[in-house]
Amino acid sequence: MTVSLECAACADERAAGAAFCESCGRTLATGSPAGAGPRCPACGPAGAVDADGYCGTCGMLAARPRDHAEADSSPVAAAVTDRGLRHQRNEDAMWLAVRGADTDAVVCDGVSASYDPDVASAVAAEAAGRVLAAGGDDLAGRVAEAITAAGDAVAELARTDPRRAASNPACTIVAACVRGTEIGYGWVGDSRAYWVPERGDARQLTEDDSWATHAIALGVDPQSAWNDPKAHAITAWLGADAGPVRPRTDTLRPGEAGMLLLCSDGLWNYLTDPAELASTVRAAVRKAPDLIAAARTLVAFANEAGGADNITVVLVPIHP
Amino acid sequence: MAYTAEAFQNEFLALGATEVNAIVTVTSSGAEGGLRTAGATEIIIVDCSGSMQAEGRMIAARQAAKAAVNCIDDGVRFAIVAGVSTAQQLFPAPGQLAVATPETRAQAVHAIDRLQANGGTAMGAWLKLAHQLFAQRPGDIQHAILLTDGENGEYKGYLESVLQEIGGSFTCDCRGVGTNWTVSELRKIATAMLGTVDIVARPQDLAAAFEQMMTAAMGKTSAGVQLKVWTPVNSTIRFVKQVEPQMVDLTGKRSEDGPRAGRYPLGSWGSESRDYHVCVDVTAGAAGDEMLAARVSVVEGDVAHAQCLVRAVWTDDAALSARINRQVAHYTGQAELADVIQAGIEARKAGDDRTATLKFGRAAQLAHQSGNTATEELLSTVVEIEDAATGTVRLRRRIEAADEMALDTRSTKTVRVGRGQ
Repeated sequence: MTVSLECAACADERAAGAAFCESCGRTLATGSPAGAGPRCPACGPAGAVDADGYCGTCGMLAARPRDHAEADSSPVAAAVTDRGLRHQRNEDAMWLAVRGADTDAVVCDGVSASYDPDVASAVAAEAAGRVLAAGGDDLAGRVAEAITAAGDAVAELARTDPRRAASNPACTIVAACVRGTEIGYGWVGDSRAYWVPERGDARQLTEDDSWATHAIALGVDPQSAWNDPKAHAITAWLGADAGPVRPRTDTLRPGEAGMLLLCSDGLWNYLTDPAELASTVRAAVRKAPDLIAAARTLVAFANEAGGADNITVVLVPIHP
Repeated sequence: MAYTAEAFQNEFLALGATEVNAIVTVTSSGAEGGLRTAGATEIIIVDCSGSMQAEGRMIAARQAAKAAVNCIDDGVRFAIVAGVSTAQQLFPAPGQLAVATPETRAQAVHAIDRLQANGGTAMGAWLKLAHQLFAQRPGDIQHAILLTDGENGEYKGYLESVLQEIGGSFTCDCRGVGTNWTVSELRKIATAMLGTVDIVARPQDLAAAFEQMMTAAMGKTSAGVQLKVWTPVNSTIRFVKQVEPQMVDLTGKRSEDGPRAGRYPLGSWGSESRDYHVCVDVTAGAAGDEMLAARVSVVEGDVAHAQCLVRAVWTDDAALSARINRQVAHYTGQAELADVIQAGIEARKAGDDRTATLKFGRAAQLAHQSGNTATEELLSTVVEIEDAATGTVRLRRRIEAADEMALDTRSTKTVRVGRGQ
């Protein structure tokens, strides 16, 4: 039991058997203000979190719902998104919908240089997810439609607020639609989809719309391209200033069992080697009791490696 | 009364940074139908010292006081104080307040004709009498107009002690007629009483100035609005300033309101918008940490009308922390503008032309950059502006006292920055 020692009046009130201090309002048993939220993780028993999420004593933001979110549809699919260690908020967003073995998944990563990128990614993930659920039989076409809808939704944001109009909210997107053993997928930007077979290297299904990828395609040495400060500058995105959105899409019908992985650069930055990525994913799945735990393990891996960016991981096992 | 409060800032701070700045714009739509939610009391204080006889000032002051009386709405309580070596109530009977009706206004106008210039200047005593009269009407919108043409004649320190005692209890707009009064003295009163100060160089312009002040006062619909600022533990408020429509430092006017919160008086409000600059020193956080550096609310008594948050987010991304917020930068510039003008005037008076030229040059540059054309025009009466962009100016050889006093009094007037970040 912790007692608020900060309040001089508390001693008398405690002696009188009061439930909380009349002068500071803290409950005497826990030291947290009466009726207020949980204790502040930054300053401990002295502070408690107000309704707006900030500690009433030290002012630190306790947590936001988006800092860490999970979607658990084990064993069909699982997704985890996390703020990471260095960013102030989670600008990644995800969408996971499962009906039987059918799975729709979207990962979006807000562009930090734009205004309200967290809103952009949330809006895009939801808009795309809704179209994925309702589209036609052509899976790649359905994904293209979903990404276009997401692009429209993000572009619309710039029309609602002058600050957003001045610095267009923007995000990347990677989306996949799994029906049986057929996977339709598509992307804009540098969020990635991988096929991780049970043996051998991971196969990157997407090709980043980024400066580094373009430079490598033009013949620049991959090592020096990725070390360039511009490496991660994306060349295509969703947003009012993105021009017409041209999602690249494809379909995959794997002949063997494996794992579809969608992720933001918060994960793949730490796993650039396809062999290492494959073994890390397989080890996570093998050691974890279920799929959601495996997704958490991958997020924890990125955080242990530095957590420099927001991290989002979606795992969808495929069994032909 | 509908208020909104909005914070403009770059919340991103470099690692180790501890200074958080925000501009808070408070806007009130005024009471519904422009009706006052509180009663109102007006007191007109007219300097009747012997010097007021010069240049037809007394005649103009009478006309101005009459014009002001005629602007007072029905039902508003009012009084007129004749300022001599003591304070004498001219209308209505001593110690009383009249209720404005066509009849009482006519009686007041009649009484104003009896105003005669003979005696001294005792601003502390005048304000004290006004304070006593206002005390009969707690909760009212309380506004006074003080007109003078000279320096205070009370013993040194008396005016200051009066202001210390009654500061902020009512609003007082101060006007100086002619050029024999002291800007710093009237500014001291206006600042303590949350009012404005200005020069009326020509007596014939007094009536218009009084009408304008009284009309503005009649537009106020609520009294005693305050800014409540909560800050986290281990933080200190460096300053709270009104920065638009004019610079007023409110930092020293804080009254504590529970742990970690204080209230700053904003005076009475009508339908209008004002900007405030809040600067808080906090303890530095780690990369990714977000802190609430201040919770700013507009309050009237126990009622909170609007609230906005001033945040601090530490980042190692220099592109984010280096972003300059236009509002903060603009008003930081306007504060410097007021400071360099006042420093320039002081330097010129002390005969230090070199410093004066430097200060006025910087002022011309700041006024030009921020689009403060009114101040730029006032500056050009004191210096020849050769190149505003680089701040190249030359002191004028002959400077009219009235021009320099106008520049001094209006140096704190600011312009608003265009919105939309």
